[in-house]
Amino acid sequence: MSLRVIAFMDNVEGVLLAAYELLQDPSAELLFAKDMDELRSKIAFSGTERELKAVGFRPSADCTTLAHKLLGKRTGRLSPRDPDVEGYISLVLRHSSCDPASLVRFICSCNGSADLLYSGKTPAGKKYYNYMRDVSRSYHRLSMFARPDLVNGILSVKVDSPHRIGDMFCRWLAGKNPDLPVAVLEKETAWIGNGRYLGLENFTHIRSSFLGSLNFSGAPDDIDDLWDVYYDSQMIPGRRNKGHAKHLQPKASSYISEMSARDRYKVERGISSCTLDNFTG
Amino acid sequence: MTNQHVAGEHHFTLTERMRILSEGTKYDSCNQSAVCHAFGPDGRCIQLYKTLLTNACAGECTYCPNRCGRHSTRASLTPEEIVRITWSFYRRNAVEGLFLSSGIIGDAERTAEKQLEVARLLRSQGFTGYIHMRVMPGTPLYLLEEIADYANKFGVNAETTSSVNYSEICPNFDYTSDVLQRLQWTRDLIKRKRREVGYGGRIVGANDTQFVVGALNEPDREIIGTVDRFMVEYELRRPYFMSFDPVPSTPLENQLPSPRWREIRLYQTSYLLKDYGLKAFDFDAVYDDNGFLVDTDPKILLAMSHPERFPVNVNSASREELLLVPGIGPVSANRIIQSRPISSEKELMRMGIVVSRARPYIEINGRRQTNLSSFMGAGA
Repeated sequence: MSLRVIAFMDNVEGVLLAAYELLQDPSAELLFAKDMDELRSKIAFSGTERELKAVGFRPSADCTTLAHKLLGKRTGRLSPRDPDVEGYISLVLRHSSCDPASLVRFICSCNGSADLLYSGKTPAGKKYYNYMRDVSRSYHRLSMFARPDLVNGILSVKVDSPHRIGDMFCRWLAGKNPDLPVAVLEKETAWIGNGRYLGLENFTHIRSSFLGSLNFSGAPDDIDDLWDVYYDSQMIPGRRNKGHAKHLQPKASSYISEMSARDRYKVERGISSCTLDNFTG
Repeated sequence: MTNQHVAGEHHFTLTERMRILSEGTKYDSCNQSAVCHAFGPDGRCIQLYKTLLTNACAGECTYCPNRCGRHSTRASLTPEEIVRITWSFYRRNAVEGLFLSSGIIGDAERTAEKQLEVARLLRSQGFTGYIHMRVMPGTPLYLLEEIADYANKFGVNAETTSSVNYSEICPNFDYTSDVLQRLQWTRDLIKRKRREVGYGGRIVGANDTQFVVGALNEPDREIIGTVDRFMVEYELRRPYFMSFDPVPSTPLENQLPSPRWREIRLYQTSYLLKDYGLKAFDFDAVYDDNGFLVDTDPKILLAMSHPERFPVNVNSASREELLLVPGIGPVSANRIIQSRPISSEKELMRMGIVVSRARPYIEINGRRQTNLSSFMGAGA
């Protein structure tokens, strides 16, 4: 049995480097951490005295080359929407149930075939493919159903996803609104996009308490009413494809914002044709 | 243009006009599932603010609620108002773009100029969202060229399959010059734009068009044949089908509405043309005696009408053969090919194949679902 421990940072580079090291020494143990401080505390806690090889804590590797070396080139895209290998690993790492050490072992078990990441042929392959899809679906749903408010000149929104996608969503929102600072609150962290307008780095994160003065009441405003008018105007009740409507506005996403909750309610219950005018004559 | 400029138009508030003009677009909402949506390059569904510039129209299309001479509430929005509403929805992330159509304001040229004004104004204010413009038949080339600079997607609706049919439902325009010529121009402009901006830049949507289904009695065989022809000649990627609904006070008010399932079956057939490499003649066995689709999945009907093609061996069949199997789509066919050898149905299930649908048509390592005749000893 090897006495080696491979310590790696839980990012794409760290995972790829750890997989590379593990292929050289398959019996080594794996240990991951989000930074050097966490690594030190983990080592101190375990009290291990084995030889330690730390990888990925300082950016040094070209991930694309490394991914090709480990998994070869994909013979063809199985689905046009699937991300490349680096994108795949990045999404899987964001999953709430992802264990980076198991992911490294799974990558090693692919025997140099990147296609096994996507095919779902093996149970582990299916599990990680589903992780990737879960995270990407959560991100897409946030992009679809989150409704930011303009608070004190900052386009701000609170997100509550089990996966770590606040930064992804913030980058997307900042790209969509390049003329405004944006803030995405994810638990204790506030991700800031277009931070140059606030005298900060363009993309950064701060403690969410720092943005405590922002009001996230989400009270309906004129736009909410205007949206309801628009939404209601688009429907022909007799032609409603309710199944497809439910698919496009899933129940699981209706909690994301009040507007999407109202839209989902209308999908389920229909749009009331009864208005105040019916009573006032 | 203000709302006072259209004859017979009363004063309405902005919200009222917005409602009237959005309602004017609901009849050509594909699938009637949510508000108008499109799909981004990442496959994400994006919602659009869909509106008409005005529902006052100089055209006399026989199926259209906005046809001139029909007594209805007329309203319009100024380009500034459309831009303001679009921004409001866009900032709240309720939409990611604008879908702009219009009644014909005088002629196609003037209408396109007004539509262009909206797009120009939005882009000049830094709008990076998606803009889809439905242009009128007969829009001049120089305006289409400018629209291509601002819009992500633009196109003209064919509505039907031939000049004769078109003259019956859209008497003000000529099918060959006002529609087919424009489809050819949009194809060329899209190609040029894609070359210029590449796929990394802004999205340049593929050529698309829309058919009104059921306003005339053209059979589905004819519609599918036209779609197939357009895919070859105009690089049409996405046909849209709008079910006809009779509108009161129009020449077609007493006609029966087209059933919703017909639209769905037409969409399914168009996907088989678009993504599965099939051609219009492949569906000859699927239509009924009058050339109409029936209310069953056309892919299943196609498989049932060619029993000699099955079962296919998942470990040796070509991609084209796999694609003919119900329950196997382009992605799952790729997965099967990349993951061979396949040893069990469980593996297929994990790959996303709908095994319950595919089972009668496949065999794995010589094993296949037993059919009744072989069970009775009558041979396979």
